[in-house]
Amino acid sequence: MKDQGQCVGLYIHIPFCRRRCLYCDFTSFSGHRRWWQRYLQVLLQEIRELSPLRPCTLYVGGGTPTVWPAAYLEELIKAARAAGLGEGAEATVEANPGTVGPRKLALLRQSGYNRLSLGVQSTKDENLRLLGRLHTAQQAHCALAQARAAGFANINIDIIYGLPGQSLAAFREDLERALEWEPEHLSAYCLSLEPGTPLAEMVRKGLLPEPDPDLAADMYCLAEELLASAGYEHYELSNWARPGFACRHNLLYWRCEPYVGLGVSAYSFIDGKRFARTADLASYVRLPVAQRIAFSESIDGALAMFEAAMLGLRLVQGLSREAFAARFGVDPVALYAEAFSWAAGEGLLEVDESRVRFTQKGRLLSNEVFARMLPDRAG
Amino acid sequence: MRCERERIRNFCIIAHVDHGKSTLADRLLERTGTISPREMTEQVLDSMPLEREKGVTIKASAVRMLYTAPDGKEYVLNLVDTPGHVDFSYEVSRALVACEGAILVVDASQGVEAQTIANLYKALDHHLVIVPVVNKIDLPNARPQEVAAELVDLFGFSPDEIIFASARDGRGVDEILDAIIKRIPPPRAPVEPTLRALVFDSHYDSFRGVVAYVRVFDGVLSRSEELLAMCSMASFEPMEVGTFTPAMSPVSELCAGQIGYVATGLKSVRECSVGDTITSARRPAREPLPGYQPAKPMVFAGIYPVRPEDYPLLRDSLEKLRLNDAAIVCEPESSQALGFGFRCGFLGLFHMEIVQERLEREYGVEIITTAPNVELEVLTRRGELVRTNSPAELPPEGEIEEIREPWALVTIVTPAEHVGSVMELLASRRGVSKNMEYLDPQRVMLTYEMPLSEVIIDLHDALKSRTRGYGSMDYSLLGYQPADLVRLDILVHEERVDALSMVVHRDDAYRRGAAVVEKLKELIPRQLFPVAVQAAIGKRVIARATVKALRKNVTAKCYGGDITRKRKLLERQKEGKKRLKQIGHVSVPQEAFLAILRTEE
Repeated sequence: MKDQGQCVGLYIHIPFCRRRCLYCDFTSFSGHRRWWQRYLQVLLQEIRELSPLRPCTLYVGGGTPTVWPAAYLEELIKAARAAGLGEGAEATVEANPGTVGPRKLALLRQSGYNRLSLGVQSTKDENLRLLGRLHTAQQAHCALAQARAAGFANINIDIIYGLPGQSLAAFREDLERALEWEPEHLSAYCLSLEPGTPLAEMVRKGLLPEPDPDLAADMYCLAEELLASAGYEHYELSNWARPGFACRHNLLYWRCEPYVGLGVSAYSFIDGKRFARTADLASYVRLPVAQRIAFSESIDGALAMFEAAMLGLRLVQGLSREAFAARFGVDPVALYAEAFSWAAGEGLLEVDESRVRFTQKGRLLSNEVFARMLPDRAG
Repeated sequence: MRCERERIRNFCIIAHVDHGKSTLADRLLERTGTISPREMTEQVLDSMPLEREKGVTIKASAVRMLYTAPDGKEYVLNLVDTPGHVDFSYEVSRALVACEGAILVVDASQGVEAQTIANLYKALDHHLVIVPVVNKIDLPNARPQEVAAELVDLFGFSPDEIIFASARDGRGVDEILDAIIKRIPPPRAPVEPTLRALVFDSHYDSFRGVVAYVRVFDGVLSRSEELLAMCSMASFEPMEVGTFTPAMSPVSELCAGQIGYVATGLKSVRECSVGDTITSARRPAREPLPGYQPAKPMVFAGIYPVRPEDYPLLRDSLEKLRLNDAAIVCEPESSQALGFGFRCGFLGLFHMEIVQERLEREYGVEIITTAPNVELEVLTRRGELVRTNSPAELPPEGEIEEIREPWALVTIVTPAEHVGSVMELLASRRGVSKNMEYLDPQRVMLTYEMPLSEVIIDLHDALKSRTRGYGSMDYSLLGYQPADLVRLDILVHEERVDALSMVVHRDDAYRRGAAVVEKLKELIPRQLFPVAVQAAIGKRVIARATVKALRKNVTAKCYGGDITRKRKLLERQKEGKKRLKQIGHVSVPQEAFLAILRTEE
């Protein structure tokens, strides 16, 4: 397969939603149906032009990819196959439970998607209303059952915690019910109130209580405990999976492997360069390829080491000293001696012969450690 | 230049603030033709913009008028201006020593006020002849006869020496000029031939150096003679000698009895300070003139630049301000929390505000000022007497035998209906009542002794608000008395924050300490460990709060583009940490100290 070129993770961004959720600050547009066809054609063109790069994983995210007809999504995976995506390769599509039914799920599975990431967010309707989700808990449960029936054997569900007014007991119920649905993979994200989003505004105006960060920390610890006892491996700060079901595509990000992101505001990382495509939909479909790039930076030297160390440490198994040294010629424990010894002293980090990894306390305070590892002059 | 002493009159105008002193001065300038009405901008004497804005005279200045009396003789009238605000009331003395007489101006509607009394007594102490004037008789609510009766009853003036005037419409101005000529004596005869001139004010001029305002008592001050400031021992060749007309107008010499200026070329007002005697360098006088106490700062505070890199700018700006204002004292000081700055002394809170404002407005330095305090005397257990003007430098409690604080004699005039409220205010400020006297059925004069620290903070404002603006006050320093004072320290994680230490009365310590601790608790960012914020007297903690440990600082999502965003976020966090001040192990943003100091004000 070598002659078929460098293997990359392929991310495709579908920036459309039926409506925006109240907490979301991603690039996404509600409505905009008239753009769909042209946008799809641009994406297909870009996939065809990937060569000599060859996709080894596919991740179609959004937005809400499933606002699109299954046929569009099928064209994407077909194009990816033509560009070299193997039959056994991980191919994920994100789905909003309110936008899928048995037929669409079956079509998606038949077209070759073998991993479904379901934006459940919560198993409680009051939380879903607060977040402005367009589905109910019941719909999410149904979507999951339908996905199983359609033949999906690798399903992720997203859960959000740390909501305004959410108690620890309520979160426990939420999570326990989600586990009853037996997903292979679970991502638990702490709500972050992004300035300008309606939810953040409501908190700012005092219409909703400010989320308590200490309580969110308790929720995180509870999630670690419940998920571990349910047989899930905690493999990244916010991600858990049944053995063998860690997301291969996402692992590419955390291992500093190359990836290509197609679609508005999508990031790529190839040959030590990270670049982003424009977030402007109109420019994206009108402008020639070269002008779709809105931002680019070189990740080399101290910065490359920092990113590798930071992303490696976000993995629960930690950073392999040997692998890091093999790549950069320096032991990370020597490179970050000051930060690591401080963090170890604070009980945030464990350092042994082969690895450096966060403690539970450290996982919650990881940014404190990363900020101390930053090279002095980045970029 | 005439040297006939008999034709010279040196006088000043003393009044309570707003009783029309400046307007009367303007009228005199106009009537004597010193300034034509066309040239007259209102209130010529207040030459600093800030003075105009605040409506008070900050620096004394002087003006020379030529007046042809009805008898046909021409006289030289030197009017020495006096400052109007309470903070500068002691500075009135500088003007008084240069004069033989004073016009006492009292507002016909307001009557006698605290500063009227205080300034009158000062003038009498200097043996000045007083010309009482009831001003503003044109006002609809004027009650000139009652006010005149007050002057008669309180101070023993005879009714026929009181002049009724309106500086606004010019009524009575001729009578005042006549009284100046007839009642105020000419300058005394010289007692020795050698030059002795008293410096009663000065300002710094970048071309002429220190310009000393002088009253010549003996001999002749000549442009061509080398001079000597007797106290500082600085000698200089005068660059210019002149009089104020009111602009500075050069003359060849000033003779005994005259008032004018000498441009010394000296670089610092300290080399030719107020109260010094200028004499001939070649034939110096044996004795200086009896000077008077130079300006003594009463209020002290630390002044720091908000941005540490502004320290040199602050240093240079203070230096420039001090060229002109000998009353500001300052010494370099450093604080763990605020960095490098200065401990400065001021005449009062108002003076301090003016300096703060000038630093920010004229020099563009953004500054933060620590809580103002007075100078204390500390008697140590070893029997030493230490003076300190910085709470952080107070010896440890165990070494202190006794703390003494300065007390002031406060004179207050208030409408009778507010007297209860005012007495309550004074009692809450530890005031001790000494005397109470009805000026008339509606107005009361209160005399209190109280700690200076209670006076300087905002007694003047508090009095104004309790009397709907009608109360007035004046104060003078009495001396030191033992006090039950303690140093209240603020500790963050067991480390003392020097900039927040304050000396407070023991009874007040708990309330002040608890307030600062509560506020600081909200301002200190959470650290990885719990941080105790305490207020303590010596080793005894009197208030305490805890900043809970930070438990969570994590980015939930870190995929593709999140990596760049997250790194930028971390860079901002790191940049933010650089601006933090370290108090032991605890990182505190400077803004926290600023916020505390601002609320303390």
